[in-house]
Amino acid sequence: MWLCTYPRFTASVLLSASACLLSSVGSAQSHSSNEELVISDNPVGHPGGRLVTSLRSEPKTLNPITSIDISSREVIAQMTGDLIHINRLSQNTELAIAKSWTVSRDGLQYTLKLRHGLRFSDGHALDVEDVLFSFQVYLDEKVNSPQRDLLIVGGKPITVHQVDSDALVFQLAQPYAAAERLFDSIAILPKHLLDQAYKDGKLAQAWGLGTSPEKVAGLGPFRLKEYVAGQHLTLERNPYYWKADRAKHRLPYLDQITFLFVPNADAEVIRFQAGDTDVLNRLSAEDYSALEKDQTKHAFHVYDAGPSLEYNFLFFNLNSVLPARSEISRKQGWFRQVKFRQAISMALDRDGMVRLVYRGRATPLWTPVTSASSFWIDTAVPHPVRSIDQARKLLEAAGFSWSQSGDLIDSSGSPVRFSILTSASNSQRTQMATMIQQDLREVGISVEVVPLEFRSVVDRIFQSHDYDAALLGLGGGDVDPNSQMNVWLSSGNDHVWDLGENHPATNWEAEIDQLMVKQLSTLEPQARKRLYDRVQEIIAENLPVISLVSPDVLVAAKDQLGNFKPAELDPHTLWNSQELYLSGTAASGQP
Amino acid sequence: MKMSRIAALLVTALAFLCLTVVFAGFLAPYDVAQQNRKLAFAPPSVIHFADASGRIHLHPSVCALEDRPGAFGEYRENHLNCFPIQYLVRGTPYEVFGVVKSNLHLFGVAPQTKIFLMGTDSYGRDLFSRFLCGGQISLLAGLTATLLSLAVGALLGTLAGYFGGWLDASIMRGAELFLALPWLYFLFAARAFLPLSLSATGAFWLLIAVMSLVGWARPARLIRGVVLSSRERHYVLAARLFGGSDTYIMRRHILPETYSILLTQAVLLIPQYVLAEVTLSFLGLGVAEPTPTWGNMLSTLQKYSVLATYWWMLIPGLLLIPVFCGFVLLANELQPGRKARAA
Amino acid sequence: MLSFVFLQLAPGDFFDEMRLNPQISPEAVARLHREYGLDKPLPVRYFSWLKSAASGDWGTSFAYNAPVAPLIWSRARNTLLLTGLSMLLCWMIALPIGVFSAGERHRWIDHGCSFLTSFLLVTPDLLLALGLLWIALRTHWFPAGGMFSLKSAHAGSVAQCRDLAFHLIAPVAVLVLGGLPVLLRHIRAAMTDALQTPYIRAARSHGIPYSRLLFRHALPAASAPLVSLFGYSLGSLLSTSLLIEVVMNWPGLGPLLLEAILARDVYMVIGTVMFSALFLAGGMFVADVLLFATDPRIRTKDIG
Repeated sequence: MWLCTYPRFTASVLLSASACLLSSVGSAQSHSSNEELVISDNPVGHPGGRLVTSLRSEPKTLNPITSIDISSREVIAQMTGDLIHINRLSQNTELAIAKSWTVSRDGLQYTLKLRHGLRFSDGHALDVEDVLFSFQVYLDEKVNSPQRDLLIVGGKPITVHQVDSDALVFQLAQPYAAAERLFDSIAILPKHLLDQAYKDGKLAQAWGLGTSPEKVAGLGPFRLKEYVAGQHLTLERNPYYWKADRAKHRLPYLDQITFLFVPNADAEVIRFQAGDTDVLNRLSAEDYSALEKDQTKHAFHVYDAGPSLEYNFLFFNLNSVLPARSEISRKQGWFRQVKFRQAISMALDRDGMVRLVYRGRATPLWTPVTSASSFWIDTAVPHPVRSIDQARKLLEAAGFSWSQSGDLIDSSGSPVRFSILTSASNSQRTQMATMIQQDLREVGISVEVVPLEFRSVVDRIFQSHDYDAALLGLGGGDVDPNSQMNVWLSSGNDHVWDLGENHPATNWEAEIDQLMVKQLSTLEPQARKRLYDRVQEIIAENLPVISLVSPDVLVAAKDQLGNFKPAELDPHTLWNSQELYLSGTAASGQP
Repeated sequence: MKMSRIAALLVTALAFLCLTVVFAGFLAPYDVAQQNRKLAFAPPSVIHFADASGRIHLHPSVCALEDRPGAFGEYRENHLNCFPIQYLVRGTPYEVFGVVKSNLHLFGVAPQTKIFLMGTDSYGRDLFSRFLCGGQISLLAGLTATLLSLAVGALLGTLAGYFGGWLDASIMRGAELFLALPWLYFLFAARAFLPLSLSATGAFWLLIAVMSLVGWARPARLIRGVVLSSRERHYVLAARLFGGSDTYIMRRHILPETYSILLTQAVLLIPQYVLAEVTLSFLGLGVAEPTPTWGNMLSTLQKYSVLATYWWMLIPGLLLIPVFCGFVLLANELQPGRKARAA
Repeated sequence: MLSFVFLQLAPGDFFDEMRLNPQISPEAVARLHREYGLDKPLPVRYFSWLKSAASGDWGTSFAYNAPVAPLIWSRARNTLLLTGLSMLLCWMIALPIGVFSAGERHRWIDHGCSFLTSFLLVTPDLLLALGLLWIALRTHWFPAGGMFSLKSAHAGSVAQCRDLAFHLIAPVAVLVLGGLPVLLRHIRAAMTDALQTPYIRAARSHGIPYSRLLFRHALPAASAPLVSLFGYSLGSLLSTSLLIEVVMNWPGLGPLLLEAILARDVYMVIGTVMFSALFLAGGMFVADVLLFATDPRIRTKDIG
């Protein structure tokens, strides 16, 4: 069954399978003859060199079990490997440490076979015990790993047991579409290094930043070399990495990767311009334009990798549980009317936002699914052009009228005014809110922009429900609709416009619930797509969230970086770090 | 109080500044919130005195801007499309002190083009209009904080100087503590600890209040000195003999001695508090959008790319220098005994 | 203590960011909440913090997941480097100029420096910082902010020192230029007062050479207020550069405090504020000691 659904995936599986056989016959580098490597089919580069990249905040830990923040996860991603990996460029799954997987007919059992002869970065052999240990740790409630929630299907955690010397069975409580995507970024841990800490109950403190490199090991292309607080963290090549290129040379090519700590985005750009760093992971649109002018002079290039998965949206407080003595329930009389929300959507200048906030490097959205998920986006959703007249007609139809001075008033004569909550630290969203404020002035609505500290914004939206409207951005980690379940399900934690109630407040929300639950257990992709398309249509008609824009993925890299393929999924630049190489003479700094 | 010629000149200049700020709506050609989205980061308009064919006119004119192809945020003038500057035009409505409504503006151009005397910001809003109206908040904040500070300082200083003893000692210890406090740290901490249910504007005014309460120390010390010396004057002793109560004595005899100190301190403190407002707004702790203040107009300069490319955004900052200069020079002139010391 | 109470009043806490992640359940967040002890009542938390602070443990930063004290100390070192150097330079420049400007000869020094002082007094530090950054960005004569460039990390210590020196140019320049006017004014005032005293006039009539008069006789007499000023400056070393550090990306205590406040990192904020308060108190104490040591008048007054 899975052979038909992911044809490209199948091809790569067959290719790697055959390559595996070939490689095990004729070995080039020093590795044991029964080690099964993955062969990549990218252009061959040459080894050596140090890549320097920057991080906007220091990682807090190197522990894959407990890390939450972005910087830690970026570094850890380079040091660890997973069973099945999602290729960030093709967005499909590919086999990693598992060399094959099959799923039972009822969709409840996944059997994975491990490759033979693989080793951790300290030379210790990998076996089934390590995988069992890893999942045991992730699923252990006392350890409190954030990864645990990812492994809960149908309300129950996945169970694992060994069936063979090299095979494992994962048992799900209910069928789960594309369950193989769950394995991505679940790092396989070395039992021999972490077992003691686990038994002592000190696992959360293990592998902090000060840990010496011999005590940290993983299956990633790089391993820890050195950490200098406040300055940089350096990884060196993992000599036991289990991938090789077509010419049978063991990957990665690079000798070292250094993560330089910079205090903010501006410093990051300056460092890149000065030549201190070789690659820039996330550029803002202004920095992109500034760098674009310099690119030919200074032997680097900027890349617009296309739309990202992030979507920014405006939504209204439709909660039934509100803080006492607040005006919000009166205002909800306006917010709950579909025509009101539709009118607001018609009045917004999305093109202006793309132009001013992102300098053209963004896409306007009419549905929360961006074109980065080329498979899942519903292209049939209409994209109406901005029209103040149309907005006014909709408002009239909803019972609003205008006073002498041009202010919009509702049927009882009170003027329509509300506030938009946004995060003060995110200048793009604050800019968008200010533009919305100006746009709605043209329809006679007076809007106040309230930028608050991010924590306070989250508190108001999720806890106290004390806001009129808010502007947020969410970014899916993955293209698959399952990653957005929490947003669209009425009982979901990110069902931001109406939290706290577990059952749907309206008919269309009930319909969305049904569709999302159904697509969760529908295994056939085209059938899932039809269900998800219907969800997008309902959202576009009823506008619980008014989608605004999605910024593009903007990166930059020096020209001498070979095999550089920026991807729309995170990490955009280093997802294929094992294949990156530096051509020409020395890169920045001595190798 | 006699004022020297220079002092009179300075006072006139500052009064002129205040008038400008009060009538900002009249002097500014555009509304502060009006966004010209196609003209973001436009440079200051070039005023032409000659038209396309080279003939000189006395009447200045401004040419329309259009996008330079291939680049965002770069413009060039279209010399075929020039319009003369008109005076006393009708434009967007505004209010003076919230009382007088009008829509008369000092100057403007035809709607097809715009005149940006100081360029535009990231939303395409005219910086000249924002600068004039921004002065309203900045100067008001400075003035309010000064008044509050002086009121508290005068009160505490008088009490300390007049009554002496343990009251004096405790107030002065407190003053030393407040003098030594690094005010920015304190302000930061206060901002963090404020309940966040306040809107940004509310928080801002509360911060002004907090700031002025921190700054009472220096005026209090000076006032105390004056009170101490005037307490022993003969007429004060006489008044006490005649049975005047403490409050009466303080009000009628001692306080008038302090007026000159208060005035000098006021003139010194106003720019300090305006600067404090500018710093707070610059760091993002000021009033909400779209209201301009002198500080938040500078805050986009924190981005190096903006600082390097759009030099006209520094102008509001540079214009602060002559404003502060005026206050400081005036304070110098007003200081009693300056002439004596220079001799 | 006040700061502790205030911080708890603010709604929201560090784990709010995790709540926003659609893939992490609220139960997991609640568990972490309990683990960090955030649900215990306020007085309990304050006293347990006090206890641990006394023994040297200043709590753990949520954001960094590491103890607070070493973090503060490493950042404070950077700040002290910056402000210490600036203060030194400032005094070294201001002292001779101030002394000479109070004297009778070379009036041009007085006029020149009062002009300069007024100009610098009027220009806000913020503008000086922005101005220097603008120059740096346009001309690349010196780096625009930051403390190190990567190349230096692997170079020899001489090259590292040079690199550090380059990065110090801009922030030190701003701090010195900002601090000069006030200092000059104080020195000049103190010197002028000292020069009026009778024994200086007597010394002058004895024919003591001019510069010796100024430096060996007048300056020590004028030193009392200057010494206490010096002490105060010591105490405020940690706090004067807050704004400059934030604008110029110097990794000191300023950006740390700002970041901690915005992230609601309780222990870090309290730790930083306490640290600078302690430093301040220490500076004032040193000021008093210095004054006591250098001014014999105080000592005799005590006895008499």
